[in-house]
Amino acid sequence: MLRTDAWLRRALAIGVSFGLIVAACGGTETTPSPTAATTPGPDDTPAPTEEAKTGGTIYMLTQAEEFDDIDPQRAYTGEDLAFFGATIMRSLTSYIYTDDDAVANTLQPDLATDTGQANDEATEWSFTLRDGLTWEDGSELVCEDVKYGVSRTYANDIIVNGPTYAIQYIDIPDNPVTDEADPNSVFLKAYYGPYDGTGQELFDEAVSCDGKTITFKLNQPVADFNYTVTLGFSPVPDPAIHPDLEDTGEQYTLRPWSNGPYKIDEYTQGNGGHLTLIRNEAWDPASDPVRKAYPDKWQVDFGIDAKVMDQRIIASEGDDAFAIQYGSVQPENLSTVFADPETPNPDFATRATSDFDPFARYYWIDTNKISNVKHRQAMAVALDRDAIRANLGGDYAGALGDGVIKPNLGDQYAPTGMWTDLFGQAIPDTGDPEFAKQLIADSGEPMPALTWDYPQTAVRDQEAAIVVASLGLAGITVTANPIPPGQYYGIVFDDEAAHEFGWAGWGPDWPNASTVIPPLFTDKGGWNLSRVHDEDFVDAVQEAIAELDHDAQAEMWHELNTLAMERVYVIPTTFGLSQTFGGTKVQPLYQWAPYGSWPYAEMYVTP
Amino acid sequence: MAGYVVRRVLGMVLLLFLLTLTVFVLFSLMPADPARLTCGKACSPAIIENNRHRLELDIPPIEQYQRFVAGIFVGRTYLKDTARPLECEAPCLGYSFLRNQEVLAMITKAAPVTFWLAIGGFVTWMVIGLVFGVVAALKRGRWQDRTVMGIALVGYSLPSFFIGLVLFFFVVLIWHLLPIPQWTSGMPFANPGKFFQTMLLPWITIATLNAAFYMRLTRNQVLEVFGEDYVRTARAKGLPERIVVVKHALRAGLTPIVTAAGLDLAYLLGGAIITENIFNLPGLGSLAIGSVLASDLPLITGITLVAAALIIVANLVVDLLYAVVDPRVRVG
Repeated sequence: MLRTDAWLRRALAIGVSFGLIVAACGGTETTPSPTAATTPGPDDTPAPTEEAKTGGTIYMLTQAEEFDDIDPQRAYTGEDLAFFGATIMRSLTSYIYTDDDAVANTLQPDLATDTGQANDEATEWSFTLRDGLTWEDGSELVCEDVKYGVSRTYANDIIVNGPTYAIQYIDIPDNPVTDEADPNSVFLKAYYGPYDGTGQELFDEAVSCDGKTITFKLNQPVADFNYTVTLGFSPVPDPAIHPDLEDTGEQYTLRPWSNGPYKIDEYTQGNGGHLTLIRNEAWDPASDPVRKAYPDKWQVDFGIDAKVMDQRIIASEGDDAFAIQYGSVQPENLSTVFADPETPNPDFATRATSDFDPFARYYWIDTNKISNVKHRQAMAVALDRDAIRANLGGDYAGALGDGVIKPNLGDQYAPTGMWTDLFGQAIPDTGDPEFAKQLIADSGEPMPALTWDYPQTAVRDQEAAIVVASLGLAGITVTANPIPPGQYYGIVFDDEAAHEFGWAGWGPDWPNASTVIPPLFTDKGGWNLSRVHDEDFVDAVQEAIAELDHDAQAEMWHELNTLAMERVYVIPTTFGLSQTFGGTKVQPLYQWAPYGSWPYAEMYVTP
Repeated sequence: MAGYVVRRVLGMVLLLFLLTLTVFVLFSLMPADPARLTCGKACSPAIIENNRHRLELDIPPIEQYQRFVAGIFVGRTYLKDTARPLECEAPCLGYSFLRNQEVLAMITKAAPVTFWLAIGGFVTWMVIGLVFGVVAALKRGRWQDRTVMGIALVGYSLPSFFIGLVLFFFVVLIWHLLPIPQWTSGMPFANPGKFFQTMLLPWITIATLNAAFYMRLTRNQVLEVFGEDYVRTARAKGLPERIVVVKHALRAGLTPIVTAAGLDLAYLLGGAIITENIFNLPGLGSLAIGSVLASDLPLITGITLVAAALIIVANLVVDLLYAVVDPRVRVG
């Protein structure tokens, strides 16, 4: 009897544990986490409004259990860059705070006195630091700190996950060690970063300080390098100058030193954890025209259940009146908060916003596995995009996409005509299975059976059914392959594990299609899920990157976007909208265009 | 008795060894590539390869496992080939490169939350379950019995995510009877009032389901014992009903209850995933689910080891207690 009971209880305990873990595996969705932007415009920094108040605490509620990275060389999530850029992590240049998208994407000086000086070929860029810049211990922030920060990017054995534009653009030779048996082969360049120190002279040659002026020598013309320095180029205290401000390497991301108006007081990751920022008394407002620093404190609460978070902000009681959502309104609450996809209900008129998010959603197609362009065109033509958008939430989900460059990128966007005339005739939003059959017949080859990879959520299970059904009408056999969200990108970037096509999304790093077309359709940037290696396309991309005339370059991106759609490297689905909101006593609440984020640097609490 | 305990402890060690080995094997069979998952947005084959080396995934799984086991006893060095190696002192359960922290430190931080959640919930459900179970047994067939069993049926039917969300919405958000639960460092001793406000609803959520089960279990056990000859004898001898119930019936009926309670408590100590998530408690359950979703092998392995150890130890304790509660049982 004893043994039977104990065995039964044990089996039950293990069974329930396993069930819970299995149930939890299908719970979340992952989206790539880049940044965004649109078109430059005139300088128009708004003055503080009359009701702006200094003091109080702004709370941020998030379902996430931690920030991806706070290390200046590792932070790469748009929303994180916006938050920490506004509070503890200044950069040489940054963007203007306004709800006018075109103006908001205008570059302005931040740590630097201007937005950078380039030589005629844009192969050498210089930035001069302002006076009065300090670290949180009161010591002066100097040019060498910016140089040291950039140098950390090269320690790619320790400083990982972050943007690699420094490695890509700064003129330092590739690592001569290629023998995989040699541990030094892990380094991407001949400079191994400041911890190892190998190749330091190469870095000193390429990045130099002259007083307050830092100069970067590049390996190619980069016309928008002053936008590039908003990503991964923020300073870190040089240990030779600031021995008390330790660079803890791998663990610096847990407690970076601040040069902004706030500093980290507490950071506890995980469900129920918090990040608390308090005022950095060493910060001099006179040295910083960008940040208003109204609240005394910021508190980020991690691991809040999404449904609970919505209800708390809807109720807006107590501290929640000063709370903002770090995420999106849940679909079941959209009708409570919004009258339509663009208009909040009266109760939420001043505290809810619906605007383009940074992402273009699309289905990548592996061009090695589906090499016949007619087959790819048939897939695009047959797809019922209207049903996909309806399944995602209809008008709330966004507009149907016609490429990978989104309209909120301003002059970088132009219609591709993908659904009007690119394939010789208009394609209805619901798909055209007969035309798809014709394209397959014209291809001269039988259409292979396909498998569609996707990160599994309940909504995407329904999306998978739409993909299977609509392509099935054109005689294309599709099998849906759900993948646990946390494993999705690990699988689809594996050439052998990935199938013929799958789900993805992408947002640009700054307001130029140079951060869209190259990473998606060449091996520079690491998001070439379509495995595009067409030489003519890659060469044209390189030409566009080197083009110094902004308008001419924009035109080249338009053409490449259109060419990519004609060859159907991807099937665009939606240009996403996102809806989010905050409490009744925090303002201003709008989506700041550069990162699709709240305008953290000018937010305040009201009485 | 001593020999039995030694044999059980050796069995525990073997079981933990097999369990962690299984986790390692299962993880290495997973199609996901952790090196790609930690590669970030600007990824390239060279960076993936670098990550694989950094995460020590470029060595055979069996060697990874050996390093894990060795780390528990003698500590371990991560990023050995770099200019900034990371030392993880024994007992080292691993290092999470996703959270940039030692696994043991994360578990140590989360464990007190789960401990207090489990203990509070356990006391609540045991008190309710035993008291109302005995009442139902004493009043068998009467309205008290039917009411208690009706409540038990309802409680047993409600999943904890439903109870938790309903309690949260009504008690906290709509009626404002309690503040939003928020665990802070130093609880429970630093701020006992806030601690009880934070834990009350989680305790009720956990206790509801379990109390229902223990009401039924206690009622059935006590009724079964009431039918025994020695209980009739005790009553015939004129012993007070209180003595009959507490000393004879309840004690004799306790053995399966102790077995169940010990394992339920151990299971809870391994993390109450749903309740911790609803009430935003930073316990082991939340940590476990986060690690699974992020494919964070070191954290998964560490938590599995700790949770399994708790359940195995609880098994041993329960088996020993069984002998204490019921003298008829002899271990060996």
